[in-house]
Amino acid sequence: MILSLIILYVLSLIYLSMADRFRSHTTILALQGLLLFGIAMARMHAFHPVEMAFIIVETLVFKAIVIPIILMHVIRKTQINRVTSSSTQFGSLVMSIAALIASCTITYYMQNSGADTISFGVALYALLSGLILIVMRKRVFAHLVGFLVIENGVFLFSMAIGVELPMLINLAIMLDILISILVLGMFLRRMDNDMNTDESDALTSIKD
Amino acid sequence: MLPFLIISLILAVLPLVVRTERATNIIAALFFVIQVAGIALVLCLDRVDAVMLHIFRADSMALLFHALMTFVLGFSLIHSSSYLKAESVSTRSYKTYYTLLMLLAVAITCVYYSDNIAMTWVFLEATTICSAGIIYHREFKQSLEATWKYVFVCSTGIAMAYLGILLLSTVATHGALDYASLKAVIAEGNPLYLKVAFLLMVVGYSCKMEIFPLYTVGVDANYAAPAPASAFISTALVNAGFLSIMRIYSLYAAAGDVFEWARHLLILIGVLSLAVGAMFLRRANNYKRFLSYSTVENMGIVAIGLGIGGVALWAAVFHVVCHTFVKSSMFFHVGIMRHVYDSYSINRIGNYLNINRVGALGFILGTLVLLAFPPSPLFISEVMIFTEIVSVEKWWLLVLMLILMCVVLYSIWSRSLRLSYHSNQDELHLSAVDRRLSYIASLPLVVAVVLGLWQPQVLVDAVDNIVRVAPVVEEVVVEELEPVVIEAVEAVEAVVEEVAEPAVEVDATLEATAEEATPESEIELTSTDETIE
Repeated sequence: MILSLIILYVLSLIYLSMADRFRSHTTILALQGLLLFGIAMARMHAFHPVEMAFIIVETLVFKAIVIPIILMHVIRKTQINRVTSSSTQFGSLVMSIAALIASCTITYYMQNSGADTISFGVALYALLSGLILIVMRKRVFAHLVGFLVIENGVFLFSMAIGVELPMLINLAIMLDILISILVLGMFLRRMDNDMNTDESDALTSIKD
Repeated sequence: MLPFLIISLILAVLPLVVRTERATNIIAALFFVIQVAGIALVLCLDRVDAVMLHIFRADSMALLFHALMTFVLGFSLIHSSSYLKAESVSTRSYKTYYTLLMLLAVAITCVYYSDNIAMTWVFLEATTICSAGIIYHREFKQSLEATWKYVFVCSTGIAMAYLGILLLSTVATHGALDYASLKAVIAEGNPLYLKVAFLLMVVGYSCKMEIFPLYTVGVDANYAAPAPASAFISTALVNAGFLSIMRIYSLYAAAGDVFEWARHLLILIGVLSLAVGAMFLRRANNYKRFLSYSTVENMGIVAIGLGIGGVALWAAVFHVVCHTFVKSSMFFHVGIMRHVYDSYSINRIGNYLNINRVGALGFILGTLVLLAFPPSPLFISEVMIFTEIVSVEKWWLLVLMLILMCVVLYSIWSRSLRLSYHSNQDELHLSAVDRRLSYIASLPLVVAVVLGLWQPQVLVDAVDNIVRVAPVVEEVVVEELEPVVIEAVEAVEAVVEEVAEPAVEVDATLEATAEEATPESEIELTSTDETIE
């Protein structure tokens, strides 16, 4: 069960590197939220109502519903739709596959008895995929998607190494990330209004 | 702690509901008083080192840096008022600015007092969100760019730091992430995990401490934010980044060989920061960016101090304390300069000595203190760091630092003199000068000079306490080995005594046997001698 969910998660990351529409990016992020919910549920050994409620809020509500709604709102308001050039898509696909191979290699050498090796490797791949999206894509909306992919990777990583942080800390972390997304979304819209662009090339006016 | 935080938070958001700028100023003054009262209460009620709300602890480090933040905040509030009035901002914008500045102060205070590694991360992320509004306050194209970069890079960097915390928490027992619990078990952790965790945390927090590699966003933020807020960001927030790294550093002091690796990493980051600072100080054409690169350079020296350890560790903490006074004063002076010229351009503005003599002298004095000319307190800290580098015989580091610091000295000195003695390049609209502000801006500088001549015992004790919780590796080994060695020696002595008693008996038996056997032996020997003859 967990293995099939994790394979789907890997496929979602590969598709994300090829997708050229921002609506597809948003849909994939929502799907990743659902997959993370499934993985977290499958990993639960016993029924803990509070823990379960928190997982539902963090994955289903927050990652699969709230964030995609915010992103869709930004897409509607800024009327951005596509990644500008197809060459970057091919480049990011190649980079993504290279990242997958690198993740497998690193996981092989970092094997630890306390960690779930497959989840660890996929989490690492998610982190690298997020960074690739940020570096390879020109539009800042894609950077925002990259940041969210990294956050999802961090969530999977915490499950892989079996860390259970106190509930208060988990809640604070979740709120922090939510506010960051809201602030980034707000500034993205402001950028579209004031600068009439969302290309990262336009963000080079501050120089020495 | 809870009442203090609640009152501070209420006061911070109160400007949003009042109508006038005067009311906002009164609330800001009250906020300042509450900060002072908070520190005084902890000291008077002898709550030093007490754990509060399970996640806060008022240790020497937290109290010292909270006091420093409050000091800078007081000046920042005064300068902000005149800055915003000169900018003719709307009342709404005025109130929002003060709200964000006070919220940032609350978030930074929480970082200082946080005794839990994950909560430190949470509050650092909160500082990013509060800073964003301040950076965007001027609402021009560059400020939007700087804000986007700041929020995005800080969030991504801090996400990496969170990954490091997760790796580090694999050694935690029962999810206890307070620094003391982690320090007790860190030696049992997987060395590879610990190294990766340290790397990720330092890289993540580098955007706050303004060191290599994520220093750029801090420089952009200081450039875009109003000057009094830049003074606050480049001191109080930078100190928050330093404190977060310092807490991790003291945690790793118990990690054996990994700590040695971490110290080497800090030296590398420090040298790279110093190099970047030296390189860009020559290129910068904006006084705020210029001062920000100076922060990168100074924090590089601090990172080297941490990496070297020993006396340099004490010097590093002292350097951060003194840098707070100097850098805040310089930013306040630059803010006044903007009143005068309506520009920060290094190549365009000049003749400041004739326009604002007090401000120009303050800026020149600030430059001298920043360049560590005696009686600058930075001279003391830098000499201590050099002394320790010589004592550990890292000659390559000494030579590299001296070369880079010569470049820094030339760049800073030539640029500062240009402001006072160079003529204006083109027609600038000069505004009237408020000399009182220049006097006020020079006060932190006076404090810095006093610290260079005389260090009060309270400060020395506070720095001693901070350094004591983060011992260098040799001391750790000695402390850890001492009881083990004593026990081992006692055990050996006991064994020796036990072995010695039968040995004495054996000796006595042997002597008696020898005495009995002597006549026969002597006869045998005698007979042998006779045979030989």
